[in-house]
Amino acid sequence: MNLIRCQQLVKRYGSTVALDNLTIDIDAGEPIALIGPNGAGKTTLLSVVCGFIKPTSGDVSILGHPPGAAALGGQLAALPQDAQLDPRMSVMRQLRFFARLQGMSKSQAVQEVDRVLEIVDQRDSAERKPTQLSHGMRKRIAIAQALIGQPKIVLLDEPTAGIDPPNAKLIRDVIREQSHNTTFIVSSHNLDELERLCATVIYLEKGHLVSFGPVAEDSVNDVLTLRLPNVDEAEFISAALQLSAVKQVKRASQGDYLLETSDDLQSSAALMQLLHERGWRYRHLSRGKTLEERLYG
Amino acid sequence: MRNIIWLAWDEVTRLLSTRRGMLSLLGFLLLWLAVLNYGILPAATLFAGGRESGVNDILLPSLGLSAWQQWPAPEMAVYWGICLYLLPFLAVLTAADQTASDRSRGTLRYLVLRCSRLHIFVGRFLGQCVISGMVILLTLASVLVIIAMTSTERLPEVLARSPVIMVNLMLVLLPYIALMALVSAMAKSARQATLYAVILWISVSLLVEYAQAKFGSLAILDWVLPGSQVKQLLRLADWQMLNLAPIPIVHTVVLLSVGAWVMWRRDL
Repeated sequence: MNLIRCQQLVKRYGSTVALDNLTIDIDAGEPIALIGPNGAGKTTLLSVVCGFIKPTSGDVSILGHPPGAAALGGQLAALPQDAQLDPRMSVMRQLRFFARLQGMSKSQAVQEVDRVLEIVDQRDSAERKPTQLSHGMRKRIAIAQALIGQPKIVLLDEPTAGIDPPNAKLIRDVIREQSHNTTFIVSSHNLDELERLCATVIYLEKGHLVSFGPVAEDSVNDVLTLRLPNVDEAEFISAALQLSAVKQVKRASQGDYLLETSDDLQSSAALMQLLHERGWRYRHLSRGKTLEERLYG
Repeated sequence: MRNIIWLAWDEVTRLLSTRRGMLSLLGFLLLWLAVLNYGILPAATLFAGGRESGVNDILLPSLGLSAWQQWPAPEMAVYWGICLYLLPFLAVLTAADQTASDRSRGTLRYLVLRCSRLHIFVGRFLGQCVISGMVILLTLASVLVIIAMTSTERLPEVLARSPVIMVNLMLVLLPYIALMALVSAMAKSARQATLYAVILWISVSLLVEYAQAKFGSLAILDWVLPGSQVKQLLRLADWQMLNLAPIPIVHTVVLLSVGAWVMWRRDL
């Protein structure tokens, strides 16, 4: 099912072009990563889709409706970057109000707010005001508001930015658990996180769509990525090049290596044998390049 | 329509359920007690003895306020005169933050995902109208209590005339609330919205003066600013005041239309 369709989308801020003739079709499915360097147009794209800003030109349709259409109420949800709840009122009051705006009855709103707060493990915060919560807790509450009414699409703009690892893990777990019913589009600079979470990646640069495809390189069988810290680099490269299936070894970053192979299965087995013999403890071995290496390597 | 009602109700309840809202109410209560004690009561006493003191025959006619004698109680006449000038100020202050701080905080984004910008704009405006209506109701009730304490004979006539005051005060306040809805849609805070309102007011006043100097005295220029009918209202004391109702209604419609356009256009 087609969720979001952008056609020749342009957004200009004065002389700055934030989105440059962007055309993309996003279908329902597993979480989608939206990545790109600062100023690539990620937040602008999400803001246009949500109806927060209007495009300079081009068309956007969400579930067949224009952004901001009444029919999208409860179907499209978002965690906007830097948006805050009203600091003067309790979390529960505000979330129940959102649920009522989505057409729920009073009792439905009560149940739904309990449900979403339970998902993000924040039921204890229900009676508190946003100012009484930590940054991580506020982020979880903001994600809870996005889950009200089980929307079809949830756009998350940097959901784990600036929060501690336990909160970040919980948010990732929530996205994984809820992605059966909802398609998440997650904008983030944390490529490791997105690689683990998402099936598809949209890569923007200077407002252009650079690539749109699967995160995992399932069809790639000639590259292995090995994370092997605490081993002498020259010694490892020399030993790896002795393996018959390994054609080339390249250092990607400190402790990370890309191995070009003629047969990834054969070389994986040989590599494991080598590591075993030398007593080298590896941290990670995967087929293909990491997302970071593919985009910026 | 349901969402507009919810948004209006939220506007009312957040005044009553927040510390800032309660402090505003407390401040207004103290101010109103002062107005009652030092304004309405002494003035009403003065007008009550007007026949002997010459107030009715000399002072009121010279001020163009002869109609005040038509009110069933002097307290009511003084209340009407004071509220025509006091309540617009209060409406401007309480209605300044209809959407401004929600916009700068990003809270409007959460709302826009659930209802249209027009619904938010209209809902907040209606909420402020309800708040102003409550203020009129409570202040009028306090005056009615005072009248009842001094003389119950006049009460039936005073109660019969109360809707005249309520409806007409509400009509006076509508353009001010609409003006604050417009500037709130342009501003990032209540303070900035109030500043914009002052700038807009002064600019329009200067433009009107310039136009009058340039093109002579045009009747329409006298009615450009909200509240321009207040002087005429002071000279009336019955449902005939509704003859002036088109002026605030036109002001309100124009200001709300411009405000809705600003709200629709602005990035969130």
